[in-house]
Amino acid sequence: MDIPYTVHARPDTGLYNAKIGIWLFLASEVMLFGGLFSAYIFLRLGADYPWPVHDLDVTLGFWNTIVLIASSVTVVMAWASVKLRRYGQYKIYMAITVICAGVFMFNKSLEYKAKLKHYAVKLTDGTILTGHMPEDEHHNTIPYRIKFGEITELSLTIPVKKSAITADPVGYVIPHIEGEAPKFKTADGKEITLDDAAFAELSAAAVEKAWAEGKGSATVKLTAVTPLKAAAKPSEIFGYTADSITFRDGTTAKGKLLDDKMTLLVDGIDARGVAQPDKSLAFDHRYLGAWQPAFVANREHHIAEFEENYPTRDKEKSATLQKESLFYKIHSSTPPAADAAHGGDKHGAEAHAPAEGGHGGGHDYPTVVIDKKDITFFSNFTPKLNTYYAIYFTLTGLHGLHVVAGALVLLYFLVFNGRMLREDPEHLANRIEVGGLFWHFVDLVWIFLFPLLYLL
Amino acid sequence: MSATTLDHDHAHAHDHHEPGFLRKYVWSTDHKVIGLQYGLTGLLFLLFGFFLMLLMRWSIAYPGEPVPAVEAIRNIPLIKDLFEAMFGRWLNPDGSLNGELYNMLGAMHGTIMVFFGIVPLGFAGFVNFVMPLQIGTIDMAFPKLNMLSYWFFFVSGVLMMYSFFVGTGPVQTGWTMYSPLATTTTLGVTNVWQHGHTWWLTAMVFNISASLLGSVNVIATIINLRAKGLGWMKMPFFCWAMFVTAFLLLLAFPPLEVAAILQLSDRVFGSSFYLPTGLMEGGKHLDISGGGSPLLYQHLFWFLAHPEVYVLILPAFAILTDVIPCNARRPLWGYKSMVYSVLTLGFLSFLVWAHHMYLTGMGTMMSTYFQITTVLISVPSVILLTCLMISLWGGSIRFNTQMLFASAFLPMFGIGGLTGLPLAFSFIDLAMHDTYYVIGHFHYVVAPGTIFALFAGVYHWFPKFTGRYMNDKLGKLHFWPSLLGMNLIFAPMFIQGMAGFHRRWYDGGKYFENTSGFTHWSTTLTHKVGAFFGLDIPDNMLSLNIVMSVGAFILALGQIPFIINFWFSIKGGKKAENDNPWGATTMEWATPTPPGHGNFLFEPVAHRGPYEYSVPGHPVDFFPQWESEHGKPKPDGSDAPAKTEHAATHH
Amino acid sequence: MSDNIEEIQKSIKKYLIIGALLIVFTVITVWLSYVELPTHGLNILVGMIVATFKASLVALIFMHLNHEKSVIYKTLVFTVVLVFVLFVLFYFSKMDPLVFDGFYKLSE
Ligand code: HEM
Ligand SMILES: [Cu+2]
Repeated sequence: MDIPYTVHARPDTGLYNAKIGIWLFLASEVMLFGGLFSAYIFLRLGADYPWPVHDLDVTLGFWNTIVLIASSVTVVMAWASVKLRRYGQYKIYMAITVICAGVFMFNKSLEYKAKLKHYAVKLTDGTILTGHMPEDEHHNTIPYRIKFGEITELSLTIPVKKSAITADPVGYVIPHIEGEAPKFKTADGKEITLDDAAFAELSAAAVEKAWAEGKGSATVKLTAVTPLKAAAKPSEIFGYTADSITFRDGTTAKGKLLDDKMTLLVDGIDARGVAQPDKSLAFDHRYLGAWQPAFVANREHHIAEFEENYPTRDKEKSATLQKESLFYKIHSSTPPAADAAHGGDKHGAEAHAPAEGGHGGGHDYPTVVIDKKDITFFSNFTPKLNTYYAIYFTLTGLHGLHVVAGALVLLYFLVFNGRMLREDPEHLANRIEVGGLFWHFVDLVWIFLFPLLYLL
Repeated sequence: MSATTLDHDHAHAHDHHEPGFLRKYVWSTDHKVIGLQYGLTGLLFLLFGFFLMLLMRWSIAYPGEPVPAVEAIRNIPLIKDLFEAMFGRWLNPDGSLNGELYNMLGAMHGTIMVFFGIVPLGFAGFVNFVMPLQIGTIDMAFPKLNMLSYWFFFVSGVLMMYSFFVGTGPVQTGWTMYSPLATTTTLGVTNVWQHGHTWWLTAMVFNISASLLGSVNVIATIINLRAKGLGWMKMPFFCWAMFVTAFLLLLAFPPLEVAAILQLSDRVFGSSFYLPTGLMEGGKHLDISGGGSPLLYQHLFWFLAHPEVYVLILPAFAILTDVIPCNARRPLWGYKSMVYSVLTLGFLSFLVWAHHMYLTGMGTMMSTYFQITTVLISVPSVILLTCLMISLWGGSIRFNTQMLFASAFLPMFGIGGLTGLPLAFSFIDLAMHDTYYVIGHFHYVVAPGTIFALFAGVYHWFPKFTGRYMNDKLGKLHFWPSLLGMNLIFAPMFIQGMAGFHRRWYDGGKYFENTSGFTHWSTTLTHKVGAFFGLDIPDNMLSLNIVMSVGAFILALGQIPFIINFWFSIKGGKKAENDNPWGATTMEWATPTPPGHGNFLFEPVAHRGPYEYSVPGHPVDFFPQWESEHGKPKPDGSDAPAKTEHAATHH
Repeated sequence: MSDNIEEIQKSIKKYLIIGALLIVFTVITVWLSYVELPTHGLNILVGMIVATFKASLVALIFMHLNHEKSVIYKTLVFTVVLVFVLFVLFYFSKMDPLVFDGFYKLSE
């Protein structure tokens, strides 16, 4: 017994089952992206920082749009070809569609990759410096680490009652310590390497003792046999002072702070969040002091231009002007320092949107060594950076997943449905129509994504 | 009946490979088996969620006292290890509950009851089993997707249960999972796979996919596979209600998926969708960019979660519109107005979500808007309930078990719904929000409401699943303690709530002297009744905690007859006399018992509306939809107009 | 969708034209985004109008919504209304008109 209306439409509704199915599915997809777009509205209206406009690579986005539109045309042509029984054409069109999907995803991966290596550092006065971390000779990024030396003593706090976060030096401390299997001495003089078994033994004994004494937690002290060195991302530790460092599990190590300065190859100074932009911390003499005249010149140039073009408009309210005049972009060909000031040189100052920062090397960028105390927040251009990049990655990521899924389905039709094409082309046409509907929907979402994220 | 089925199955088996046990009961694409799978899994989860609740109620009534039987459990091999891994490791050394464990239990109780108990049983279980039969088709429109839907659900259940075993234990932040608390808890543990939270969110993504597949299937089936003659307005209300429910699931779940994805991103990638600028924890600024908003989470969550509460209640109405007319032997009163009401209800349920958020400071205009829509939505709810009540008028009611449950539903849902109305007004909600009053409100709707209806459904369709009745005596032994237990648990909540009891206090208010010192006639009564039994129950609000816990215990006892009845009756129940033992009119009763693969022995055609009971002049007091005239075609299909051409191609 | 061979043949040309139109409007969108309108809110509004226009072309022609069956229209209208509700309410929950004057962000 077969389920009716799988190929031919039911007379009173005029639809075959799969068509109803796909439209219902699309309705739910509309709600999915609707939810995401409303989150976008919410975040954008609530943003307490200048919302990035034209920050992404518009050219890349533009070509991706064209690619998707082309694939939308070819997929509908593929369907028409099957309906007209032009099988050769069908295969070509379908193949082009799938290739388009590949191109789209390739471009996307370029876009994503550039962002991972690009950093933004927010200083205490609201200035944001963008740039790259230095690289070694193999083009590997040298990451930012808090470095400690002469670590002699670890102090673990082990709660008696089991709780979600307990002392776990094996997981939270040892990975940051240089060298293989460091050795420690316990209070009673035994020499151990800290691994799971040793720690379990240690903590069991300590907890038992604390329980007997009626204490809530036990403290265990370990002495390093030879002084140790440690390096950790700021997010991997709770905090540190000049002579101690606290890891995420609450373990404290005594030692000496070696280095907590961040080195950045700066490619942009965003002073929009600063009350007096030309007094930004970025122009402190330790940092980019020499670039201040260039920045001021650039700003004046843009303001003058704006006033000439839009004499009646309030320049405080133009987001574009704010960005042009206060987000000073340094390109590798920007004339360094004071030279730029004289030319008021537009080309130099604007350069190519380095926010995309395709260049890994960047040896021409000014290298700045920033004090930890001046940094409030830093991140690479990932969802962590701000809500714009968060929603950008979520929207484009989910959209990308849809592209991949859709392409796989179409590819399946192309490769595995040869027999159906010969024997039951009407059924295959239905399948392609359904797959195509999904594909058009993916295109339709992009039509909104592109302006919202890249342009406006 | 069953003889014919057997023959039918035999004929079937010869043509195909004998479907093995796995194909038939595990990887099945048959809607009936999938319905049973969903239903049974749902029942198991309900039981498990109920067990979590018992632990919570213990802690509320007797805070700081060791849970009874813990020692005993800790001595049973195997069970011991399981118990230790899931709960035991969080208990205080003396075996009493602490706040952390209570929070875990609370969050998982809510999640499991809503997403893994009631929806799978009430919606997926019943709709899969009954709906295709009622609209006279052979299966769902997309049987393979249907199977996938169940297995997605299964995986999500496994993931959810797995969260009990990971490092941080299951989530602790309530079934609503509000950010920023839910975003930042346990982030100290850097391995995200050790977070119960990660598993919760992942499980929800699977759960959502499952209900998406299920609802697409249901809608497509109802639209395209209705039997000949079954016009929209001849369709049983059961199918209408399920149709609307499926739409709610289809369109409301995606925003929850968004909410879950964004929260996952916040936790895993460190983004700030739900985290405001300057958020601090433990006196330290978090390492986040900020700029997001907790309100965003609540909006996305409640956009799902309000329609979700109608997903919980509509299957109950669906079931009752079959059970009540059938046992009152009266047509459903106001079928058309019910259909329009349910459609309106479905639409409006998308427009009221922020009545859960009056206290968030979302703005006066929003409050005004949501108060209006919330009051509006009670109109269709009341119409539905009223129609059911009027359907009883002048009936000759058969008080079998399902009818007992069905008739208890009416006042219970009434209490639940009416207590919701005051909450609709923001100025009242200011006082009531997050108190036990709210807990009382929605539990009255869901527990003695929906769950009673689900029980009614189980008793009603059991003869169709198995060919046997469930035992009526045990059924009554199930019903009366349940009714008593439910009311003992939930009625005092209103009193406590109005006295200011906050929800989610693991010690039941013990340390909140100011709110627990009141007396009230109910507390005095409790005190006196306690004294009569020689118990020293104080005369204050805390005493009600004990009443509730006793109620929970009675309720627990009351489920034992059901469990026995259910398993025993499958093989040992009284045999149903024919394929339509209740004398019902809808088409599922035209199939052999239990329905074989392909369901019908003749092509069903709908000749009339679904509720033709006690038609004047008709020889019997029901006139089924599929009969062209009295007694035709015979249910075994022997005098049906030769089987359809589908069947011919098949055999 | 009609199964009529001739109609399909005719529509092939239509598909190509629509494809070209979409590309043209993409160029227009990009260009418009660089034009400084009185407020950036207006830029967004205009951009969204163009995008909606493009999206309707895709929906109507490529997805054959210009002649679909009523069940599908009903479903979609319902869905679109809901999405719109979502947008509008999310907008107003940030922009409470009682405390905020004007159509925010269009004036900025
Ligand atoms: C008849 C009309 C109803 C009205 C006017 C109504 C109104 C409300 C309101 C205003 C709240 C929020 C209270 C607060 O958090 O302060 C609420 C909570 C709730 N309602 Fe209803 N309700 C109605 C029916 C229902 C139904 C039919 C169900 C479920 C089947 C339901 C389930 C819930 C749940 C689960 C909550 C609490 C969720 C939570 O905070 O965890 N309600 N109701
Ligand atoms: Cu609600």
